[in-house]
Amino acid sequence: MASPAPALPRRYVHPALLASVFVIATSGIVYELVTGTLASYVLGDSVAQFSLVIGIYLFAMGVGSYLSRYIESDLLERFVDIELGVALAGGLSAPILFKIYASYGAFKVALYLLVAIIGVLVGLEIPLLIRLLEFSLDLKELVARVLALDYVGALVASILFPSILLPHLGIQQTSLFFGFLNGLVAFGCTFLFPMPRAVVLRLRGRAIVVLATLGVGFFVATRFVERSEALYFGAPIVYAEQSPYQRVVLTQTSRTTRLFLNGNLQFSSDDEVRYHEALVHPAVAALGRDPRTVLVLGGGDGLATRELLRYPSIERIVLVDLDGAVTRAFSNLPVATKLNGGSLRDPRVVVHNEDAFRWCEESTDSFDLAVVDFPDPSNYAVGKLYTDAFYHLLRQRLGVRGVAVIQSTSPQYARQSFWSIVTTIEASGFTAAPYHVYVPSFGDWGFVLVGAEGLAAPSTLRLSRDELRWLEPSTLPELFRFPRDTGRVPAPVNRLNDQKLVAIYTHEWGQLGR
Amino acid sequence: MHRRAFLTAVAGGWLAQASGASSRSPAGGILGAAASVGHLLRDGGVPAPQGPPERADVVIVGGGVSGLSAAWRLREAGLDVIVLEIEPFLGGTSASSDDGAAPHPFGAHYLAAPNPEARAALRLLSEMGALTHWDAAGRPVFDPRLLCHAPQERIFFEGAWHPGLVPLDALRPDERAELARFSEVEARMTARLGADGRPWFQIPVDQSSRDPEVIALDRLTMAEWLDREGYRTRFLRWYVRYATLDDFGGEPEDVSAWAGLHYFAARKLRTPELEGSHFLVWPEGNGRLVKALAAASPARRRTGTLVTRVAPLAGRPGVEVVAFEPPGRAYRLEARAAIVATPGFVARRLVPGAADRGLPDRAASPWLVANLHVDRPVDPDLPWDSVIWGADGLGYVDARHQLTTLSDRTVLTYYRAYGGVDVASTRARLAVAPWGALADDVLRDLAPAHPDLRAETSRMDLVVWGHAMPRPRRGFLGHRPFEVPTTLADRIAWAHVDQTGLALFEEAQARGVRAAESLADALGKDLGETWL
Ligand SMILES: Cc1cc2nc3c(=O)[nH]c(=O)nc-3n(C[C@H](O)[C@H](O)[C@H](O)COP(=O)(O)OP(=O)(O)OC[C@H]3O[C@@H](n4cnc5c(N)ncnc54)[C@H](O)[C@@H]3O)c2cc1C
Repeated sequence: MASPAPALPRRYVHPALLASVFVIATSGIVYELVTGTLASYVLGDSVAQFSLVIGIYLFAMGVGSYLSRYIESDLLERFVDIELGVALAGGLSAPILFKIYASYGAFKVALYLLVAIIGVLVGLEIPLLIRLLEFSLDLKELVARVLALDYVGALVASILFPSILLPHLGIQQTSLFFGFLNGLVAFGCTFLFPMPRAVVLRLRGRAIVVLATLGVGFFVATRFVERSEALYFGAPIVYAEQSPYQRVVLTQTSRTTRLFLNGNLQFSSDDEVRYHEALVHPAVAALGRDPRTVLVLGGGDGLATRELLRYPSIERIVLVDLDGAVTRAFSNLPVATKLNGGSLRDPRVVVHNEDAFRWCEESTDSFDLAVVDFPDPSNYAVGKLYTDAFYHLLRQRLGVRGVAVIQSTSPQYARQSFWSIVTTIEASGFTAAPYHVYVPSFGDWGFVLVGAEGLAAPSTLRLSRDELRWLEPSTLPELFRFPRDTGRVPAPVNRLNDQKLVAIYTHEWGQLGR
Repeated sequence: MHRRAFLTAVAGGWLAQASGASSRSPAGGILGAAASVGHLLRDGGVPAPQGPPERADVVIVGGGVSGLSAAWRLREAGLDVIVLEIEPFLGGTSASSDDGAAPHPFGAHYLAAPNPEARAALRLLSEMGALTHWDAAGRPVFDPRLLCHAPQERIFFEGAWHPGLVPLDALRPDERAELARFSEVEARMTARLGADGRPWFQIPVDQSSRDPEVIALDRLTMAEWLDREGYRTRFLRWYVRYATLDDFGGEPEDVSAWAGLHYFAARKLRTPELEGSHFLVWPEGNGRLVKALAAASPARRRTGTLVTRVAPLAGRPGVEVVAFEPPGRAYRLEARAAIVATPGFVARRLVPGAADRGLPDRAASPWLVANLHVDRPVDPDLPWDSVIWGADGLGYVDARHQLTTLSDRTVLTYYRAYGGVDVASTRARLAVAPWGALADDVLRDLAPAHPDLRAETSRMDLVVWGHAMPRPRRGFLGHRPFEVPTTLADRIAWAHVDQTGLALFEEAQARGVRAAESLADALGKDLGETWL
């Protein structure tokens, strides 16, 4: 038998163990709050998520307490192992959940599993601690002290969590930090009682590994949120902001810059040129004269504006985009201005952060050209910008023989939606010339040229071939031809009081499993 | 187990904090002075009028839709018209407020696209630009921006929101079948003409058929009619109850079957533009119509003025009106004619002898309206009207719905009708209920669908309508249906929705216009063709 390792003098053992009770109690509640918070973040419905997490956690604790009766010998050794288990499961709970939050099914499984594991382990601990302390106190005194400390710890946790931990430390760091504390307790406990040296060394070794894991985790966690978002977006995030309307995320790799609004790709620098050249230049050609004043609705990324500014005749561009977060980013961020050439800061460009519907209602200006580049009609608020009422307003903003172009979702993935937009445009008195282009990031994408009677698909462009990067006159006619699988289908008019388009659109994209 | 209770409390408390700015309680109060001041009428305590009488050609008592419509009708007659209104605001039960994140209603909140026969209403809408033109078939076409935008409604049914007022997917087959049967009957009744060639149900109400077959429906309550026709499923019964509460503030047991069916079968306008919704909706509800009526007439308007007496002058043609501006001054006005545009129970007190004119004796339903000023995340798919199945109230409408702009601040207007038979004791209870208790009731009623609402609400203003609207009880059409007394005394006309017993905007307007036109001779004016 090996000689026992030196242990702490007995008079310190008792307070040390009580201190561990406090740490264990605090971190137990912290893990419960962390998982509950994440669950309500990711799954929504905070009341249901919190009650489920609390319920599972308490039940698992009960199971743990019951299981403690099967631990009969080597109490301290078991206790240290369990404490290390809590440190790992609890400490890593938030990072694990973050890592997989994008996949809904796995998230739920992992969530409830983690809660159950932590619950069982914490449930095991208190009975073991009481038994470890039995040597120094009688049961009455012991239970009173341990439980009192346990509840005080709980109170401290529940006060600290919302007021200090969550706002200042962040949710992942909070869970890692308390995991680290649990690890320290485990490490410290190896000094409490005499044990065989081999056992002590093994326990300390494990404790150090656990502490190191959590410690490293803590330091990388600062960038963890962004990194797991980055995983979701498939590239590092260079800019992220939550505006009142949407989450704005810009990602960048050495090759490609992408903009996401609420997780939906808006453009990729790989092929945005195709999209924006196709959006702007056919409309200018259809206008049949040099454009002088242009209204851009949506298009806060300034890329359509960049294309417009290629025409020296342009005197004034009014850009109306709801979200100041987008236009600010694309006016100021170097990665953004590199793409749009600083178009939003051009003296000819005026930016209004306003609702386009209202702006069109209140404005009295008229324009040669309007470029309408709203997000797809995936909800009723955006859907209003695809109604006959809106196109009536748009008509009032166009001067004599003015022309507009409207981004109109994909005729390939949302065929009836596309033709519903065309039908609605026609119902509001415009002549429509629908066309489409292939943009690799998006698929086959649709636009509609609109104007007064007599509007025709253009056959030439007003810029020379060298001024453009993708579009050329010879491909123009092809854009206005629809193959049989995307050609016109009967589709309803989208009205403010009957937004059939939103229902059709959600259905069509829903079928694609998006 | 103590620990469980503790953990739950901890997490729950934190949750309440995390989900709102703080676990605060809203501020607010009860609006409208009329109830207490109005009691002066009943209980006395108004000082004697002093000074020489003020003069006007026509005095209109009451600045609700009926009174303002009367003034509107008289606008081209070159008369000095004055409107006296007890409340600090115009509009009566169609009043509204412009404070907060959006204008919002105190009462009436929509106007169903009026039938072509509601000519006064269409005239007003056309003046406002809300009626843009008439289509080839001679039907009115409305500005699409004013028709209730999609999505219109949702219902919280068995723990989840469903689009529309009917959660079809969640209903049992027998419930769906009964709904289908009911809507067939609804369609048939809508198209039905009586033996006299008039539609069974019409708005204005007095243009409805006198055919004894349809009038016979007034001898049943709506509940009795449902029983007779074999409608039994819980959803249909709830749906009809929702309708009678919404339109009349009464339970199906206390509302005439004629009135109940009128709700479903009086709207005749069918055009493609109205398919999605035929409701005209403004953020401030019918308060917008009140503003338009007020702006369209040169009449003088005096708010905060209680009229205590309207009587023919002794010995010469003309009318004497006594007015009181609480707390101080009472004075007299002399006019060539007067229009009393108040509910019947007020008219009876104001005009001596009016009680003998056969004024209908109507019960009135009490209502509670709550305006909740809330801060909450933008929801691009929030409908106009949210209804909670099984709640006491009728749900709430979102004042921002018709605005295209998104915002995280809005005003939700919650409605509750007290439909029980004993209106008097409900009214008495409401009259003394403190704001806090009523506000708690509202939040509790909405809690199943909105547990976080208390924390989201910064202010809740309440309006207690003791006599919100006449309740068309069984037999309310009387022995001579639709022959309503318009004259209260010589040169004193009456205008109010109490006359026909259905509280609808078009009805209030028709009553006001009729009263004004009935005074043409007394005023010696040719008012031209009728506007009705
Ligand atoms: C909660 C609620 C919701 C409603 N919703 C709708 C709806 O959505 N659509 C709809 O069409 N209708 C609705 N209505 C019905 C609405 O009542 C009518 O549309 C219409 O406003 C009735 O107008 P009125 O002028 O006839 O009556 P009131 O509105 O009763 O007007 C009477 C006026 O006289 C004043 N008055 C009374 N006594 C005196 C006095 N002694 N001296 C001076 N002034 C006095 C009152 O203050 C009031 O302003 C609703 C009503 C309520 C209460």
